[in-house]
Amino acid sequence: MMRNNLGAAKRLRKELQSLEKSAKNGDTAATATSAAAENDTSDNIHLRPTDMSSLLHWTAYIQGPKDSPYEGGVFQLSIQCGTDYPLAPPTITFDTKIFHPNVHFEKGDVCLDILKKEWSPAWGLQAACRAVLALLSDPDAESPLNCDAGNMIRSGDVAAFWTTAEMYTVENAFFIDWPPRGSGTGNY
Amino acid sequence: MVDDIEMDDTAASTGATNASTAKAGKASSNALPAPRFEIKKWSSVAMWSWDSCAEHCAICRNSINEPSIEYQANPSPTNDNGLSITFGNCGHVFHLDCIQRWLKTRSVCPLCNKEWDFAKIERIPGYGVGM
Ligand SMILES: [Zn+2]
Ligand SMILES: [Zn+2]
Repeated sequence: MMRNNLGAAKRLRKELQSLEKSAKNGDTAATATSAAAENDTSDNIHLRPTDMSSLLHWTAYIQGPKDSPYEGGVFQLSIQCGTDYPLAPPTITFDTKIFHPNVHFEKGDVCLDILKKEWSPAWGLQAACRAVLALLSDPDAESPLNCDAGNMIRSGDVAAFWTTAEMYTVENAFFIDWPPRGSGTGNY
Repeated sequence: MVDDIEMDDTAASTGATNASTAKAGKASSNALPAPRFEIKKWSSVAMWSWDSCAEHCAICRNSINEPSIEYQANPSPTNDNGLSITFGNCGHVFHLDCIQRWLKTRSVCPLCNKEWDFAKIERIPGYGVGM
């Protein structure tokens, strides 16, 4: 029997609802509970469904982390969920070109353990985006998808890596305004 | 997330201890204003922990007092595991069908990553057998 995607879409609808809720609560800042702690990094993440009718495909914008060669850049990500989400992780690809050891330079594929075998269905799309942000701050040169970037770091030429990554950030990631249009209001 | 819940539990039990101390004080020494203050404090802590006790299944994010999302989406008389919840030895709780489907991928608890062992399976109240 063919599985329908209702379960995945319903779960994603819940994620959308809690994102909208925290976007609203973010301004009041009165609730000193775990919601406030959770907002720490989510300010750098803007996440919304690409297509409101299926909810399986999302677009995210993330701000390049401070003290990284991606600072000042805004990167667009495509997030695709299968009908078995959240049992299977979402697939995340960079739409914005980025020079990073764990991102495929041409295709934008991301190599990140929690998006593969370390995935847990207790996580959601926002947690996945947070993990991608953390990867930008802390590249892993041992499992490179971009061998040039990986080799620069492994050979100790961090300055060359930094310069190249910064150059691509300026060239590709400086064109999206922050916050992206439609943020916080829920009208996409 | 897990840490939050543990912290809440601690806060709740501390609050409960304060409250019973306050009640005992009131019973023995009659109508002091101080116990009132204590009770008020207790009620705010209790409400806070009540909020975190409204537990959800971390897999589908439905409440554990209602059927799983999967069951709601595809109700099936032959597979009603979405009407039951299960506790692991680690203390975490999920819908039975949610955790069963996850265990086909990895046999660990989604919340604490410990090896999953079924400790208890219960029918959700109001969704009895043969309904
Ligand atoms: Zn569930
Ligand atoms: Zn657990």
